[in-house]
Amino acid sequence: MKKRLQRQKRRSVPVPIASMGDIAFLLIIFFMVCSEVSKDNSKVQVTLPFSEFVEKIEIPVAARVAVDENGDIYFDGYQVDSVKEVELGVRALLTKTVSDDQRHVQFKCDAALPKETFEPVIKAIAEGGGIIEAVGENNE
Amino acid sequence: MRQRSQREKKHRSGEIPTGSFSDIAFLLIIYFLVATTLVKVKTITADLPTGEKTSQPQSDKTPIVNLRGVEVFFNDHKVTMDQLNERLAALELGAQDPSKRVIMLESASGTPYENYFQALASISKHDGVVAIVEEDE
Repeated sequence: MKKRLQRQKRRSVPVPIASMGDIAFLLIIFFMVCSEVSKDNSKVQVTLPFSEFVEKIEIPVAARVAVDENGDIYFDGYQVDSVKEVELGVRALLTKTVSDDQRHVQFKCDAALPKETFEPVIKAIAEGGGIIEAVGENNE
Repeated sequence: MRQRSQREKKHRSGEIPTGSFSDIAFLLIIYFLVATTLVKVKTITADLPTGEKTSQPQSDKTPIVNLRGVEVFFNDHKVTMDQLNERLAALELGAQDPSKRVIMLESASGTPYENYFQALASISKHDGVVAIVEEDE
């Protein structure tokens, strides 16, 4: 009996850690493959307008258009010179779309900008075939 | 001297130390998890149908929202944003044919985007289809 107890003491439980590195690297590869690089115009200085009706967007957007406080227009993060470029860009991106869910275009604009600046951009997106997802904030 | 070099050669092995690989990998995972921001912006959806420009209004009964600076008019009556919401809700656009859901949106020059956005949000929320009215050049 005493002998058996001694034998039990010697017994060690090895944790299999040899494959931990493989698992971890597989996880990294999985995240890298699944993640989408954000094309958000985060550098664009914009004061968003308020509305109680804004909701979190669940649909992926085909393109991102932003108009900053100076009236400069950005298409997918790159500054463009005219609204025509926005229309052509949206049209080009939407040529291969098959459903309405693929036509959503995010539109971010400074709240203080006058109609003369933002309305041509809205029209350009609409002319290009995009459904506008106008970004705003609510009090939540 | 000869003995030392023999000893050194014997101890040298060509194995790459992989013991810390799992630590490195998990540190990378933690870094990505901490550094990642899940961007989910809040938006309103507005489908602006495009078509031929017409100088005639679609119908005499087509509701029209006018934005004149910070003032809002609904069918030529001055309203607040809350009143506009009530009027649009009363129209029950969701239950009507798509052709009868059209709400015309006219804005005077200088109208800030804040007001335009609120009107657009209100129309879209009540299932309206926005038709932008252009000024004559």
